[in-house]
Amino acid sequence: MNEESDKRLWEHFGDLTVQKRALRMGMWLFIASEVLLFTGLFALYTGYRAEYGQQFAEAIGHNNALLGTINTAVLLVSSFTMAAAIALLAAGRRTLSLAALGATWTLGLAFLVIKGFEYSHHFEQGIYPGAHYRFAELPGEGAQVTFTLYFLMTGLHAFHMIIGLGVVAWMALRVWRRRTTAEYHVDLEMSGLYWHLVDSIWIFLWPLFYLLQ
Amino acid sequence: MKPIRTFAIALAALLVLTALSYGVSLLALGPLGTPIALSVAGVKVLVVALVFMELRHAGPINWIIASITILFVTILCLGLISDVLYR
Repeated sequence: MNEESDKRLWEHFGDLTVQKRALRMGMWLFIASEVLLFTGLFALYTGYRAEYGQQFAEAIGHNNALLGTINTAVLLVSSFTMAAAIALLAAGRRTLSLAALGATWTLGLAFLVIKGFEYSHHFEQGIYPGAHYRFAELPGEGAQVTFTLYFLMTGLHAFHMIIGLGVVAWMALRVWRRRTTAEYHVDLEMSGLYWHLVDSIWIFLWPLFYLLQ
Repeated sequence: MKPIRTFAIALAALLVLTALSYGVSLLALGPLGTPIALSVAGVKVLVVALVFMELRHAGPINWIIASITILFVTILCLGLISDVLYR
């Protein structure tokens, strides 16, 4: 074992293969906990939707389905570039991998810009979460609850996206400095899993908050 | 490169499914709309998990973790659906 691999290997793992497997499994466990967190919120959605019916659907009808759909496409393409970045690095195409990471980061930022545009449009109309809600067009309690849940769920998702942007930038820096390499890039793989998880959550948020009017 | 080609095919499928879901929502199918939209979303997440997240090659332990997660989510969903339908 050379000096370089010694530095990468943590003392409580026998070798790098075992370390990689353990890290991947830890990431899948983390993903499981994230899925259950969002499932709780989806359950809240179901409960409120059953309770408020028409008002709930009208509030969702007020969201811009086209912008939501564009954002869905943006995230799907970003998942592709993220997966490609890992495959490219593994194949020794470091520069292309960096380009793919750059594309992933840019698409993630584009998603947040579009989301921010939507939020600011909501705020202009008086659509705020909770007690600050004062949207004249849909004054009902059901619409208020719907938009509060919308802000909570899309906001939590956007928070995950912001973390994701930080992680992708960090990974790009590591690939750039050759800390993350073709031979050993489990950190990039874990970042990819996180990015795809955040994409998967949006895949469900999109129909629930934009399509089912 | 073979993996990139597989990812590109998956992306194309995901975008087609997205367009399909959007198209179906414009038809306003009423009560049918919800199960269709959620089924399409489920298929999309399956594609993301199997192809982009490489669950195909993730090994038995991670399959067990993923399966148990899906089982827990299913239990919660069944409880919810029965509550909403038969209250």
